Amino acid sequence: MMTTTSPDSTITRAVAIAQRRSARRRFRPRRLLLGLGGIVTFLALWELVSRTGLVNPVYLPPASEVLVQFGINLTLTGFWGAVGVTVGTWALGMLIAFVLAAPIGIVIGLSGFLRRATRSTIEFLRPIPSVGLIPLAVLVFAEPLQQSLLIVVYGAFWQILVQVLYGVGDVDTVAMATARSYGFGWWQRVRDVVFPTMLPYLVTGVRLAAAVALILAVTAELVIGGSPGLGREIGLSRDAGLYPSTYALVLATGLLGVVINVGVRVVERRLLSWHQSVRGDV
Amino acid sequence: MPPETSTAGRGRTLPDDQALLQVRGLQKIYDTDGGGIEAVRDLTFDLGRNELVCLVGPSGSGKTTLLKCIAGLLEPTSGSVTLDGRQVTGPPKKMAVVFQEYGRSLFPWLRVDGNVELPLRNAGVPKGERRRLVGEALESVGLTHAARQYPWQLSGGMQQRVAIARAIAYQPEVLLMDEPFAAVDAQTRADLEDLVREVRERLGVTVLFVTHDIDESVYLGTRVVILSSSPTVIQEDIEIDLPEARDQLETRAMPRFTELRHHVYEQIQLAKQGFRPDETRVG
Amino acid sequence: MRRALTAVGFALGLPVCLVVVWWFATRTSANPFVPQPVPLVTTFLDTWFGDRFASDVVPSISRFAIGAVVAVVLGVVIGLLIGLSRTLRAFTEPTFEFFRAVPPPVLIPILGLLIGVGDDMKVAVIVLGAIWPVLLNTIEGVRAVDDVQSDTSRSYGIRGMNRVRFQILPAAAPQILAGVRQSLPIAIILMVISEMFYTSAGLGFSIIQFQRQFAIPQMWSGILLLGLIGFAVSMLFTLVERRLLRWYHGLKDLENAS
Repeated sequence: MMTTTSPDSTITRAVAIAQRRSARRRFRPRRLLLGLGGIVTFLALWELVSRTGLVNPVYLPPASEVLVQFGINLTLTGFWGAVGVTVGTWALGMLIAFVLAAPIGIVIGLSGFLRRATRSTIEFLRPIPSVGLIPLAVLVFAEPLQQSLLIVVYGAFWQILVQVLYGVGDVDTVAMATARSYGFGWWQRVRDVVFPTMLPYLVTGVRLAAAVALILAVTAELVIGGSPGLGREIGLSRDAGLYPSTYALVLATGLLGVVINVGVRVVERRLLSWHQSVRGDV
Repeated sequence: MPPETSTAGRGRTLPDDQALLQVRGLQKIYDTDGGGIEAVRDLTFDLGRNELVCLVGPSGSGKTTLLKCIAGLLEPTSGSVTLDGRQVTGPPKKMAVVFQEYGRSLFPWLRVDGNVELPLRNAGVPKGERRRLVGEALESVGLTHAARQYPWQLSGGMQQRVAIARAIAYQPEVLLMDEPFAAVDAQTRADLEDLVREVRERLGVTVLFVTHDIDESVYLGTRVVILSSSPTVIQEDIEIDLPEARDQLETRAMPRFTELRHHVYEQIQLAKQGFRPDETRVG
Repeated sequence: MRRALTAVGFALGLPVCLVVVWWFATRTSANPFVPQPVPLVTTFLDTWFGDRFASDVVPSISRFAIGAVVAVVLGVVIGLLIGLSRTLRAFTEPTFEFFRAVPPPVLIPILGLLIGVGDDMKVAVIVLGAIWPVLLNTIEGVRAVDDVQSDTSRSYGIRGMNRVRFQILPAAAPQILAGVRQSLPIAIILMVISEMFYTSAGLGFSIIQFQRQFAIPQMWSGILLLGLIGFAVSMLFTLVERRLLRWYHGLKDLENAS
């Protein structure tokens, strides 16, 4: 017979909980402050490097000048127009990529045969750099929007497709068999068994695709110079020698990227917490 | 013969030249927002050479805290730990620890022999010597055949043996074991208990063994130190006067074993009910 | 034997069918934009394996290789230093989030101003763009190191550089390599784009030239070459990763089986 001491409410647990709570409370403001400190330090360094002439201040305007220009931009309708074009291209590209990749991914993923048959093709097409298609886009399409969309959709599509394939591959075969034995139709099975498992992967795919899509949209604008988005504005301001504006626009593009990344992550967290609570037993 | 009583709340101490490990007035207060939590109030006891001391206590009585302070992994709020006359401020060279979570303590990217040899590699031991020590250690835990496997390919009991082999190869003076067999099945646990005894006999290490399991503590130990509830002091320090040679069946069937086990169980129940040795002396 | 044949069959099946369909489709139509398979292959070999190999292909690939290596090394080293310090992590986090959100090609006009338009600039663009996944993944991998592992290291006196070498790097390796995997395509993209600006030589430049000159088959052959390079790099990485992370895959397989 084995006698052991039984676990009661314990010191260890009390300490652990208290530490976790205090860590959360204590470090939040500290982390924020440190982070802000980092940003300020970076800007200060930039200002110094430019003003002391370490780098030619013509080619690297001081941070202060750039920030002022950035503020001015925010008041210009032209700026917001450009932002609108970039965001519009991004959104449309994401939509098309999603509408194509999700169903295709599900169909392929559910069929062992299709999965194996398409694997080599996918592995070959996926790493093709989307920007390599730029010359093709210019040749085939006349509309700048269509040109950009080809690039954006091609890049975003693969991100989503690959994640959906992972997600469908993760579906519990026992759950599927159970559903089938209960006479669930194909669509029902997809809705009740496949979809819940696949959702987190789909969201990951959308997150990755969102970042890629923005980069590709701006790049297409920059390189092709057709679509009047942020990318083109950057190229134009540089060619015109308006360097503070160039930097200010790069800043704006980065911030747009951050906003999109953060936004997607917030949506992801919301969606997945709902998903966790709803998922129950599949 | 009644167990040696010491001042309430303190364990047995030895004269300085006999004590290998000395714990004096160890206190640990964890800092939290709502004031500190005193996990360990005042622990005082000694370990003599080649003793096998088992630490038992109600859950949350600061066993792991104590072990980590002794191991130099945690800094005590006050009090001291001395090994061989030198104060412990960080993990001392002559000490090895076997953790409860063997799965996370063994490095999954190294094979069994790589894991066992790692502390030696780090210490700069030359290759030939290393290979010899590793071979001996694996042999003493019976895992020579598994040397080229990855830890995660082995069962829980075997993984814990690897951890023990790693500690042995390091040739420590003191072996600290933090509930090492809690996550292992009963049959394997019996084998591992005997392994610990055997290792101690053969290599002459001193072992401090933390456990939940009362039977295990009486079976294994030359001494059992019972901890009070938190804030922890020593409830009682009992000498286990069972014969040196122990056997899972025979020893556990002895009447003296049952007596001792009963006594320890009683003390722990008292501890859980809040009885505190340092307070009864008041008034 | 049969299993090997089925595997090959699946691998080649769809591609072969697609090529056949493509061949038939282009035999009849005379669309100038769509190349025919056989002439494409000959154009491909002619264009890229003649003089251009030395003047365009090799320099481009070298720049990619150098840029990728520098990005990975810098990313891991800096990531290690930052990942080990909670303060540094908090300090750099927002700034890094911003930098990694800037589309790297957008830096080309700026870098062109600062460094000029030569090879330096092209490699710098590759490094500045490709470093982020490696850097951020290294930081995360180092941060998330298991504390029982760390206690074990400390208890055996494994500190400093040794701890990095024996415990931290191997533990973070899966995460780091995931970052490298993301950064390689970025490096390829930047290799191409950095050459599409300002007069220069290289793959990107050549493809743009072909497009401007309406040399359609050559342009397609360039795209094909890019695809092959992307594919080859991806395969190479998979081989290396499988070798380095053999233990990790074994462990994961075991976990998934249970």
